[in-house]
Amino acid sequence: MRFEPTELTATELALQKDVRDFLAADLQRGTFVPGLGMGAARDPGFSRKLARRGWVGMALPRRYGGGDRSAVERFVVVEELLRWGAPVGHHWVADRQSGPLINRFGTEAQKERFLPQICAGELSFSIGMSEPDSGSDLASVKTRATRVEGGWLLSGTKVWTSGAHVNDWFIVLARTSDEPDRHEGLSQLLVDLRSSGLRVNPIPFLDGTAHFNEVVLTEVFVPDELVLGEVGKGWVQNTSELAYERGGPDRWLSTYLVLEHFLRERVGSEAGADAAMLLGEATAQWWALRRLSLSVARQMDRGEAPAIESALVKEMGTRFEQDVLNGVQRLVDLEPSLESPSQFEQLLSRAILTAPSFTIRGGTNEILRSVAARGLRP
Amino acid sequence: MTDPLLIETAVRVFSDTCTHEAIEAAERDGWAADIWAQVAEVGLPWIALEGGSLVDALAVLRVAGRYAAPIPLAETGLLAGWLLAASGLPAAEGPLTVVPGRPDDTLTLVGDRLSGVAHRVPWGRAVNQVVALMEEAGAWFVAAVPRTGFTVEARANLAGEPRDTITFDGPARVAPAAHGVDAAALRYRGALTRIMLMAGALDQMSRLTVGYTNERVQFGRPVGRFQAVQQHLVQGAQDAALVGIAAEEAARAAGGGPARFEIAAAKLLANRAAQTAPRAAHQAHGAMGMTREYPLHHLSRRLWAWRLEYGDEVFWSSMLGGAVARAGPDQLYPTITSGSAVLEL
Repeated sequence: MRFEPTELTATELALQKDVRDFLAADLQRGTFVPGLGMGAARDPGFSRKLARRGWVGMALPRRYGGGDRSAVERFVVVEELLRWGAPVGHHWVADRQSGPLINRFGTEAQKERFLPQICAGELSFSIGMSEPDSGSDLASVKTRATRVEGGWLLSGTKVWTSGAHVNDWFIVLARTSDEPDRHEGLSQLLVDLRSSGLRVNPIPFLDGTAHFNEVVLTEVFVPDELVLGEVGKGWVQNTSELAYERGGPDRWLSTYLVLEHFLRERVGSEAGADAAMLLGEATAQWWALRRLSLSVARQMDRGEAPAIESALVKEMGTRFEQDVLNGVQRLVDLEPSLESPSQFEQLLSRAILTAPSFTIRGGTNEILRSVAARGLRP
Repeated sequence: MTDPLLIETAVRVFSDTCTHEAIEAAERDGWAADIWAQVAEVGLPWIALEGGSLVDALAVLRVAGRYAAPIPLAETGLLAGWLLAASGLPAAEGPLTVVPGRPDDTLTLVGDRLSGVAHRVPWGRAVNQVVALMEEAGAWFVAAVPRTGFTVEARANLAGEPRDTITFDGPARVAPAAHGVDAAALRYRGALTRIMLMAGALDQMSRLTVGYTNERVQFGRPVGRFQAVQQHLVQGAQDAALVGIAAEEAARAAGGGPARFEIAAAKLLANRAAQTAPRAAHQAHGAMGMTREYPLHHLSRRLWAWRLEYGDEVFWSSMLGGAVARAGPDQLYPTITSGSAVLEL
């Protein structure tokens, strides 16, 4: 395991400035409700606007509408969007993992069909991994695809499927055969969320929001041309999908705006002793975490697969997101409310209600520690 | 970019000389003449002064931290040597040290006469020259006193490294400090040396713990296979990684400027890790880690001691957070991305 320190190049710094200028001009503070990192609102119009700038699917090949840009350049763009609380929800999953996955394992026809629309900010994706009886132990998925003429019939139930009620597609991990090694015989299928035989049932989130769903698949026909990658090799592909999901800025910026608005509304320019210590410590941690995370992106650009490093960063970053929140809460004598006119209070309330999910989504911290510990073995 | 050959040399010299027995002997005797001689032989204490870069010297210090090298490597070249060079005073041969400047020090400088008591002076008993930074009438001076000009009362830090109380009462060589060399500058530079040492110690502590838990078998398998123990291994690796990258960033930034943000942030993180990493490492080692014969304590005790030198986490977080608040909320993220290029401390 190695985290090579890296600096942004002049081109990357120029990109950072472009994004900052764009947000300051086109998404002015006070004109929208900022979100908590990747939990921000969905706004297809905003996604299309970003796409016109070349900031959606930017790391995908130019011939499919992407920007041929690097993982670091994508990092530079998304960290600015997330820390601004920009409404990235519509394109988030497609940009972060579905697009790269299709690009890596998809057929030429699949790439031509999906990638240009992803890069245009049009097509949205959900994640089809978890099931009622399969969370951390993903190889135990029971959703099954049965061979039929020209394709597969897919049956089973997926849960915690964020955005399934509004998104266009999801990539389903399903069993296509039974093998002695249960990591064999799994496959990934591209499934239209409006397929016949597919039902989306909402699962209200504890804060009253509605983005979580159960997706019930009953003999949904998936044609052969929508199998992603190799039949039976879904486990390896799924693992590489998780690598895209981990270790990026979305894993340490979820509560950034809580602290920024704490500073804005509650601290002012002369910080008291406790507030100064919290601000100092949080700033130092963000600075160093960001450096580790950036180093992971640079490794990806070198063609490496930093799965261990990503797991280590995500585990650390998500705990830090929660620690910042606790630190702020200790310093405000406040019963926060979602209805408050104060931006700080709204963000604080939303963060308190959703913080436990930070260390669960995308692989629990317990699983991440196992992954990291395996990588530490001599 | 650090010279890989230099790091190779440092690894070879420190791994040859800083054996468990040699470190134990150094603590018992208060000086490790043999280790010093071999390290000095290849010039490692004076890299930054003799053609090498500051970044190289700091990288070597990180290696020294890994091997718990019981010698005044930080003091000789990077602190005392720096103060002397910055004031045009000649350096004595051999090991040097610096007065870190504690609140209970009573030093006064009248003309070229230095008197009073200085505390927590690293290896005061073993050096050929002590260098102190003094403020007189609003101006900063560097005072250098040879071995014959002070008396030593032996004291040690938690790791058993000499941190002596020194009494001066006699002539010193005195020269005005170069512009920008003041108590704050010394504190930042001192903190930078501790950051490098701590980053090295954290690396080694993680390695040692992973190795031990892979060999120690309980319930029929290596204890490192148990999830509860893995949690400690991951904590140690995270601390080493976070402080490691912070240290490298701070060193790189210091190569091009004062790097105050990077040093404050890195020392703060190293201080935090000096609590969490030894806790995890000791827990994973069980009783074995509490023994004198097992080398974990060379690292854990040093981390606990270095944490408190040149600013604890309350000092640095208050300093950093105060500046963050003064800069205002719109500068918070730019500070996170660009450090001292954006935030002045």
